[in-house]
Amino acid sequence: MVDKIKVKNLSCYYNKKCVLESLDINIEQNKILSIMGPANSGKTTFLRTLNRMNDFNVNYLRKGEVYLDGYSIFCMNMENLRKRVGMLFAMPIPLPMSIYENIIYAPKCLNIILSKSEQNIIVEQALRDASLWDEVKDRLNSSAMKISGGQQQRLCIARILAVNPEIILFDEPCSGLDPISTAKVEESMIELKRKYTIVLVTNNVKQASRVSDKTAFFLMGKLVEINKTDELFVSPKKKQTEDYITGRFG
Amino acid sequence: MKKNKDVIIETAIFMCGMLSIIFVISIFIFLFKEAISFFWDYNFIKFLIGKNWYPNSNKPLFGILPTIIGSFLVTFGACVVAVPIAVMSALYISEIAPKGVRNILKSLVELMAAIPSVVIGFIGIRTVVPFVKFFFNIPTGLTAFTGSIMLACMIMPTIITISEDAIHSVPWEYKEGAFALGATKWQTVRRIVLKEARPGIIAAVMLGIGRLVGETMAVMMITGNSANIPDSIFDPVRTMTATIASEMGEVVRDSAHYKALFAIGLVLFVITFIVNFIADLFLRKK
Repeated sequence: MVDKIKVKNLSCYYNKKCVLESLDINIEQNKILSIMGPANSGKTTFLRTLNRMNDFNVNYLRKGEVYLDGYSIFCMNMENLRKRVGMLFAMPIPLPMSIYENIIYAPKCLNIILSKSEQNIIVEQALRDASLWDEVKDRLNSSAMKISGGQQQRLCIARILAVNPEIILFDEPCSGLDPISTAKVEESMIELKRKYTIVLVTNNVKQASRVSDKTAFFLMGKLVEINKTDELFVSPKKKQTEDYITGRFG
Repeated sequence: MKKNKDVIIETAIFMCGMLSIIFVISIFIFLFKEAISFFWDYNFIKFLIGKNWYPNSNKPLFGILPTIIGSFLVTFGACVVAVPIAVMSALYISEIAPKGVRNILKSLVELMAAIPSVVIGFIGIRTVVPFVKFFFNIPTGLTAFTGSIMLACMIMPTIITISEDAIHSVPWEYKEGAFALGATKWQTVRRIVLKEARPGIIAAVMLGIGRLVGETMAVMMITGNSANIPDSIFDPVRTMTATIASEMGEVVRDSAHYKALFAIGLVLFVITFIVNFIADLFLRKK
């Protein structure tokens, strides 16, 4: 298996307080890695480091390296990195425009000059990949704020797909969704791993076991255990992992 | 007992609320009463589009077209100068400036709003007027152009403060979403922030215009006060407000001239009312 991302000795600090401690993780291509753990365990910090969204925070400090295809992401142009590493947030946040514009916004921003028919193709493809096409194809020009939460979240996925990234980071994508919408988002995640590498941060142990190929367990800013999902859930090596997945704490 | 107190307080608040409505309506009625008696003697159309304002001649002419044009020129000029600068400084303050600079700038801008317009007039007479005269090589520096520049300084704080609020209230999540797609800061500002803040910015501009139309002191001091139709923005003009302010003191009470000034007031009132109404529409749209 090819490692898409290699994380070497990564430590992160907010206000000089360590939230993530000497982390080493390899993320395989075309797989879903899920990261689970209780709140405050550094999952989101880790995810936001991968596409440098934390760089906006002045109190944030980082040591160590992250390599994407062998190149350090901290030496890359930030915008180019984010094009390659898309991110989906916990709350679905459609941009305040129509469904169609939401998807075409990013390609337009990136100055890919497109004819109308090419735009239509991109929008349709992105919506199909996010399993949303059938639900919204008749109202592409209505406001994205009017569709349901689950649809909005899938719209946000489609928006990311339109840029054609290599990796998609999901930051607790289903925490605000009902079970049926969650199932749909998970379905599209499994579809997506054929083309993309996925990192999923989740509070939901069941979700990790349902969708991911590999699972990592974070606790208090440290990586406790990482293994193939089947093995980790059947025979966890560490006591803490076992306690967490069997629901003894967290 | 508690209930009684509630009723008293509620009534008091209700009365205060009603007062402002009563004030506006009574101002309107008062203006209207004086103005309407003028229009019985003088044709309304002739008043609006008459080219000559000779209130004291044997056969007085009350044409306010020159002053309407004067007001319009000064207002328009000030908008052209102020709006781009103000919107960009609002953007700078809320999006780009580091925190320390932002706080200083914000309080400075608010301080600027507190400068009385007479003082703005002073500064204009001492600085901009000679400059304009010298730079454009014209007989007098007291022109519509000069007035526009000084008024622009006057309304900028209003526009900056309100647009800054509008820009600041664009949710961080929208920006984050755009950044996560690989948009640069400028792309995000242009396509997301400005788009979201647009109703607020337009409202800010409309409120600024409302203030411009009603401004008196500064324009009276620096626009030259000549009630002729100007050929260009570099000619002296007189605004509606300046006409009222400069002539009200000497006019014979209840004469046609006196009532004509009230009629100008009514026109002004209607204009600012419309402008504020439009601003309100945009604010509500948000």
